[in-house]
Amino acid sequence: MRDLAGYILKRGLWMVLTLWVVYSISFALMRSVPGNPFSSERGMPPAIELQMKARYNLDAPIMQQYVDILKGIVFRGDMGWSYKLEDYSVNQVIAEGFPVSASLAIFALVFALILGITAGVISAVYRRTPADTALMMAAVLGIAVPNFVIASIAILLFVFMLQLFPAAGWGTLSQIALPALCLGMPIAAYIARLTRTGMLETMTKDHVRTAFAKGLPRHKVITRHVLPGALLPVVSYLGPAVARVLTGSVVLEKIFALPGMGSHFINAALQRDYTVAMGMVLIYTVLLFVMNTLVDITYSIIDPRVKLQ
Amino acid sequence: MAPEIRRGFIIAALILLVFALLWASRTENIPPADFSLQNGTDPKTIDPHRASGQPESRIIFEIFEGLMRMLPEGDPDPETGLQALSPQPGMAKSYDVSEDGKTYTFHLRDDILWTDGTPVTAHDFAWSWHRMLHPATGCEYGYLINELRLAEAYHKQLLNIGDRVEVELWDRPEDGDPNSDEKGALQHFPRGTIVYGWLREIEKTPEPEFEKNESGEYIQNEDERNSAIAQWKQSWIYRIDVVPTDDADQPQWDGNAESQRFSQSLEICSADQDIQRTHFVLVDFVHNGGAQAIDDKTFVVHLNNSIPYFLNLVAYYPLFPVNKKCIETHGAPLWTKTENIVTNGPFNLDFRRLRNRVRVRRNPDYWAIDRVGLETIDFMSLESQNTALNMYETGQLHWINDLPTSVLEELQKRDDFHSGPKLSIYFYKLNTAVKPLDQVKVRQALSMAINRKQIVEEVTKAGQQPALSVVPPGLAGYRGAEGLPENLEKARELLAESGYPGGRGFPKLTLMYNTSETHRPIAEVIQQQLQNNLNIKIELKNMEWGSFIETVQQEDYQMARYGWVGDYPDPNTFLDLWVSSSPQSNTNWKNPEYDRLIVAAGKEFDSKKRMELLRQAEQILATELPIIPIYFYTSAEMAKPNIEGFAPSAQDLHPLSVLRLRDSSTATKE
Repeated sequence: MRDLAGYILKRGLWMVLTLWVVYSISFALMRSVPGNPFSSERGMPPAIELQMKARYNLDAPIMQQYVDILKGIVFRGDMGWSYKLEDYSVNQVIAEGFPVSASLAIFALVFALILGITAGVISAVYRRTPADTALMMAAVLGIAVPNFVIASIAILLFVFMLQLFPAAGWGTLSQIALPALCLGMPIAAYIARLTRTGMLETMTKDHVRTAFAKGLPRHKVITRHVLPGALLPVVSYLGPAVARVLTGSVVLEKIFALPGMGSHFINAALQRDYTVAMGMVLIYTVLLFVMNTLVDITYSIIDPRVKLQ
Repeated sequence: MAPEIRRGFIIAALILLVFALLWASRTENIPPADFSLQNGTDPKTIDPHRASGQPESRIIFEIFEGLMRMLPEGDPDPETGLQALSPQPGMAKSYDVSEDGKTYTFHLRDDILWTDGTPVTAHDFAWSWHRMLHPATGCEYGYLINELRLAEAYHKQLLNIGDRVEVELWDRPEDGDPNSDEKGALQHFPRGTIVYGWLREIEKTPEPEFEKNESGEYIQNEDERNSAIAQWKQSWIYRIDVVPTDDADQPQWDGNAESQRFSQSLEICSADQDIQRTHFVLVDFVHNGGAQAIDDKTFVVHLNNSIPYFLNLVAYYPLFPVNKKCIETHGAPLWTKTENIVTNGPFNLDFRRLRNRVRVRRNPDYWAIDRVGLETIDFMSLESQNTALNMYETGQLHWINDLPTSVLEELQKRDDFHSGPKLSIYFYKLNTAVKPLDQVKVRQALSMAINRKQIVEEVTKAGQQPALSVVPPGLAGYRGAEGLPENLEKARELLAESGYPGGRGFPKLTLMYNTSETHRPIAEVIQQQLQNNLNIKIELKNMEWGSFIETVQQEDYQMARYGWVGDYPDPNTFLDLWVSSSPQSNTNWKNPEYDRLIVAAGKEFDSKKRMELLRQAEQILATELPIIPIYFYTSAEMAKPNIEGFAPSAQDLHPLSVLRLRDSSTATKE
C-alpha cells in the first residue's frame, strides 16, 4: 500500500507539471493563430472593439494575460467567461457538457466490454469454426470502418427501417442507445481480438493444462483459469479506450446532436474562443491522465507480476 | 498483493461500474414541446444588445417585445405564397409622426408587464436604448440608429469642445480605489456618479505617429496602431465646467459652473490630485439625446434626418427593451440566466440547455395572449443539416430551415417544402488596390464572363436568382439598377482594351473563400468559367472563418467570397457599406459621387426622390463593380402541415407567436 500512495503522489506531481506545459503550449498556440474572438463580418468600430477587449482583459500585455489566467485557474478554479457563448462561464460549459460526454462514454465502454469479451471468448473456445471466422471478420470491419459510417448505417437501420430509436437529440435513454452503440463498436472489435489472443495464449499455459488434467469441466477452466490471465491485455487497453470514447465522440455528437463536450472543443478552437478552448484542453488532459493512472493501478493489483514504479 | 485484496478490488470495480451505469442512465425525460425548430448553432447570448445572429434573433423576438413588432399583414400572396410582414403596434398602442418625419411619439399600452410583475414604461425604453448605445455594451447594431439625435457621438465616444457632457466618476459599486485600481468594475450598469458640464478643453499629448516602410505601408499592424491610439486617448485630460444638478438629478445648464479636470488614466490621476478619475466622458445623451421618456407611457424619438424605414428598426430586436432592475441587480451576463431573466414578450424563457435547446413557454401576462397559439417552443441547437432532416422526418422537429443540398431536388417536390426570397446577396469582394483589379474594365470583364445561371441551376440548386447588381429584388418602391449583362464578346474586348488580349500576361489571381461545402463548388465553377472564357487563371484558397475574416479586413487579399444579409427592408442596408469611410468595405474602392449620393439619400425626405438617389448610387456600384454579385439567396425550408399560420416571408422572418397547431391529436411524439 505504501508504494501505491507514493505512486499516486508521484503521478499527481507529474500531472500538475503536464497541465502547466499543456497550458503554456495551448496559450502560445491560440494567441499565435490569426483572427481574434471579435473578428466578425460586420466589422466593429475600433472604439467598441477596444471596449470588448478590455472587458475580457485582452488589452493587457500578453505575459500579463498568461499570468492572470493561470492565477484564476489555480487559485479560484475559475477559467473565465466564454467569448462566444457569452452567457456561460467555462466552468458552466464543462458542467453542462461533461455529464453528457461521461454518460455516453460509460455506456459505450460497458457495451464494448460486454460485447467484445463475449465475442472474444466464443472465438477462442470455438477456434477455427465458422463462428470464429465470422466474429473475427466482423471485428476487423469494426476496427476499420470509421464510426460516422457505422452511425449512418445504424440510423438507416434502427431509425428509419426498424423505427426503434429516435433519430437524434438528448434527454431520454433511447436517445443514448444509438450513439453509444456506434461509439463502442470499434472498441468492442478491438477488445474481441485482444480477448481471443489472450485466451489462446493462456490456454497453452501449464496451469490450464493441469486444470484440464484434474478433470475440471471445460467452462470452469475457462472462467477460473483462462479468463483472468486472458483479460490482462484488455485491462491495459482500457486506458487508450477511454481516451478513444472521449475524443471519438466529436463526430457522433454532431450526427446525433448531442450536447457533449466534443463539439465545444472544435467550435472553441475554430471561433477563437480562447477561454473555452483552454478549458477543454485542460479538462481532457486531466481526464486522460487520471484514467491512465487508474488503469495502471488496476493492472498492478490484478496482475501480481506488475510493480508500480 | 494478496489474492484477497485482488478479489476485493475486482468486486469493488464491478460495483463501481454498476453505479456508473446507474448514474449514466438517469435522464430528465423532458416532454416534447408543441413546436420544435432547427435553430442552427447554439445562441451566443439572449441579451438583445449583445446578440447579432439569426439563432439569437429568433429567440429574442419571442421572449422580448419592442414598441413595434413584425407581424403578418393580410393573407399570403396567392401566387407566390409569400406572407407580407409589417411593423405593427407591440408595446406601443399607437404612434404619431411629425410632418418632417423626424419626431416619433409612441404611446405605450396600459396593460403591459414585465415578467416580474412591474409595468413596462417609456423609461424602460429610454434606458434600454441608452444601454444599447453605451460604448461599454459593445452592441454591434449601434449604427442602426446613427440618425438618432446624439446617438452616434455617444456610441462612438465622439466629443466636440462646447458639448454638454456627462462624466462618470470612478465610484461604481465594484470600483476599487481610483488611485490604485487599474481596471475598475466590469459592470457598466449601475453607473458611478454622473456629473454634467460643458466641455471646455481637452489637453492632449501629441498624437502617436506610426512609421511606414518604403512602399507606404504601416510597419505596425492595425491592432497595434489602434491600441496605441487608445492608450493615447486614455491620457487625455478633460477640462469641464461642471454645472449643478437639481433635486431630480436634472443638470442646470445655465447654473453656476465650476471648472474641474478629469482623466481616465490612473497614472495622471495619481500624479495630480486635482484631476479626478473617470470611466467615460461622453455627450449627455440621457438628457439631450433622441430617446426621451416624457412620462411613464409616452416615449419620444428625435431623429436628425427622417428615416423611411424607422418603424422597421423599432421592430428590430436591438431596440427591444431590457429590464433595468434585473440587469443592475445581476449584472451581465448573469441576468440572462433562466432564474434571473425578466422579459416582456409573448413567451417566457423556460430553460436553456447548452448545445441542446432553448425552451420558451407562453407568457400568461402578455397583453395579446389570445394571439399566442403555442404553449411551448423548442429552439433546437442543430448544426448538421442531415441530422435536422432526419429529426424532421421522424417527427422530432416541425420546422427546418437549413436543408442538405444533396437532396434538395427531392424535397422541392413535396408539399411541405416552402421557398421564398431572402434579403441577402452572395458576392465576391475585389481588392481594387491590387493590379489588375484596379482597372474598371478588368473588373467588368470578370463579371461579364461569369455564367451565373449555371451556378444557381447546377450548384446551389435551391432557386437562387442570378445577381447582376447588389440590391435584392422585392423591396417596396425600389426599382433596382441594371447591372452589366453577361456578355462574353464584350468581356474579351474589355480585357484586350485593358492590356491583356486573350488573357495574355494576366497575373494569376487568388480567390479566397471560407471553408464550407457550398463555397468550394461555386468557386470551382467560376474558376473554370474564367479559364475557359477569358483564359484567366484563378487560384482557389480556402481558409477557416476566423483567419478568413482577419485576412480580408487587413485587405491582404485579391478576391474574396462574402455574403450580406439586409438588416432592414431598405436598399440603403446594401448600399451604405460601400462608401469610402465604411469599415466593412475592405475593397479600397472610393467614389466621391457614390458617397455624395448615399449622404444625399439619407437626407432626402421625399421617398420617391430618395429611392431614385439610391438607384443612381447602385448604378455606379453595378458599373464600377468593386464587388462581383453572384446571386440573391432564397430560403428553402420544410414545415409540418399541421402548423397553421406558417408561410415564407420576403425577409425570412417568421413570427412564431402567431403559429398554432391545426389539430392537437396529430401532435408528434419525440
